[in-house]
Amino acid sequence: MGSSNQPDADGNRSFETNPVLVVQGVGQMGRHFLAEIGGMFWFIINTFAETMDNVRRGRVPFRAASFFRHTERAGVGSVPLVAMVSFFLGLTMALLTGYQLERFGTERLVPGLVAIAFTRELGPLLTGIMLAARIGASFTAELGTMQVSEEVEAIEAMGISPLRFLVAPRMLALFALMPCLAVISSLAAIIATSLISSAYFNISYAYFNELVLNALLIRDIITGIVKSFLFGLLIAGIACFRGLNVKGGAAGVGIATTSSVVTAITAVIAFDTIFNIIYVIFFP
Amino acid sequence: MSASQPSVVELRNVRLQFEEKVVLDDVSLVVEPLDRLVVMGQSGSGKSTLLRLVLGILAPTEGSVFFKQFEISRLKRRKLQQVRAHIGMVYQYSALLSSRNVRDNIALPLEELTKKTRTEIDKIVDEKLELVGMIATKDQMPSELSGGMRKRVSLARALVMEPELILFDEPSAGLDPVISSVIDELIIELTEKSKVTSVIVTHEMESAFRIATKMAMLYRGEIIEVGPPEQLKQSANPVVSQFLSGSTEGPILEGTEDAVTT
Repeated sequence: MGSSNQPDADGNRSFETNPVLVVQGVGQMGRHFLAEIGGMFWFIINTFAETMDNVRRGRVPFRAASFFRHTERAGVGSVPLVAMVSFFLGLTMALLTGYQLERFGTERLVPGLVAIAFTRELGPLLTGIMLAARIGASFTAELGTMQVSEEVEAIEAMGISPLRFLVAPRMLALFALMPCLAVISSLAAIIATSLISSAYFNISYAYFNELVLNALLIRDIITGIVKSFLFGLLIAGIACFRGLNVKGGAAGVGIATTSSVVTAITAVIAFDTIFNIIYVIFFP
Repeated sequence: MSASQPSVVELRNVRLQFEEKVVLDDVSLVVEPLDRLVVMGQSGSGKSTLLRLVLGILAPTEGSVFFKQFEISRLKRRKLQQVRAHIGMVYQYSALLSSRNVRDNIALPLEELTKKTRTEIDKIVDEKLELVGMIATKDQMPSELSGGMRKRVSLARALVMEPELILFDEPSAGLDPVISSVIDELIIELTEKSKVTSVIVTHEMESAFRIATKMAMLYRGEIIEVGPPEQLKQSANPVVSQFLSGSTEGPILEGTEDAVTT
């Protein structure tokens, strides 16, 4: 970077080339990153602890109405999006793999291929990405606006834990609804594949059914479902964390919302990779 | 006030610092039962911060904050939440939950913190709304109310747990003079009727003298004078007299960016 020296207003300072300071900068970024992860981790733990506090004292942690409002909005409201996207992706996948496999006369592998790919991997992952965008953004914007208008502080000042009152129902809603949506995603993709299989590759619905059932393993299905539970927790955790940490008015809410979606999508994909690596190593 | 009666709020040598910036420096203040203490000071002098210290939302860098016998900054989370239920807070912009109607806003602390049934809660909500004269708006959303109405609802919400202390952050901010007087009178009437101690933060002098039984002046992070309103009116301190008269001549603007340069 020696040639890119940029003189500042004084005209005598240059672009940072001192290796010590560059390393310091990298170190600072690393520390910031770890602090963020630690913050989110404790956020989820504290939410759990404060919610259990109420349970231990024999009180409901939050009202069922509040929980169902969120499951309705986050879960039921996401069904069309998740089903449509997965359906179209299933169509495309079946079509493209089918045309390739046809050359070897093995197009009857298509149903199993799509079914395994979706139940184990793509269903939860796609659902995660879609919900991070659709619901993560809405959670962050909502909580962020409440934070900016002092509503969160008012709740805290009344002696009510915002983590229990605001975060816990959202987290539980996404945690519980995510696997359902992942199942819908897989089903939509399998239905799409059955249409393509019968239309282009002469696989009857009965034979299709048999091929899918033979290919699917309970293990794959369970892996997908376990993953989607965790994705739900992760997305809701990140979205609420970002929302409650908004600073700086309307612009702050905008920044937090963008950051929430980006972080949640990245986290879902990264987490999926880690999960797969661990899974392959320990359960080959 | 007899000496044996414990104070409601006490700040002992409180210092609050955000990184380099000292917000409060060696602040000591005592609020006796049934006082209506008005804390005056310039915008950004740390008045609202003072209220957040009492609520335990901020912790002092040094010194201690007491609410009755409890040292706020040393309480565990559970205990702090229980103590907060005895303190009401009326925010500058009311801070009503925009997703809930007036009734649900006021019922919130009762629903979350007590084991009262719905009928009991409804009765208390009606009673408090009646007190602030807002019973007709019960089913309206906060966004449908005017600033003064929202402040009244906020006051009803602060009263709903029968607190021993109510904190007001700029109760007359953003209100016209008439509504502002109405709110002031409401504060006096309700605190007297319900036997509540209150701390009011404001920079509106008219309102301050109407409400106060005791006044404190916060200037550059320090309490420079405390006493009954009459004492502050006749204060020899140039900062206090400049602040009360609202004059541009005096020590307050010296060395600040707001200084009038002519």
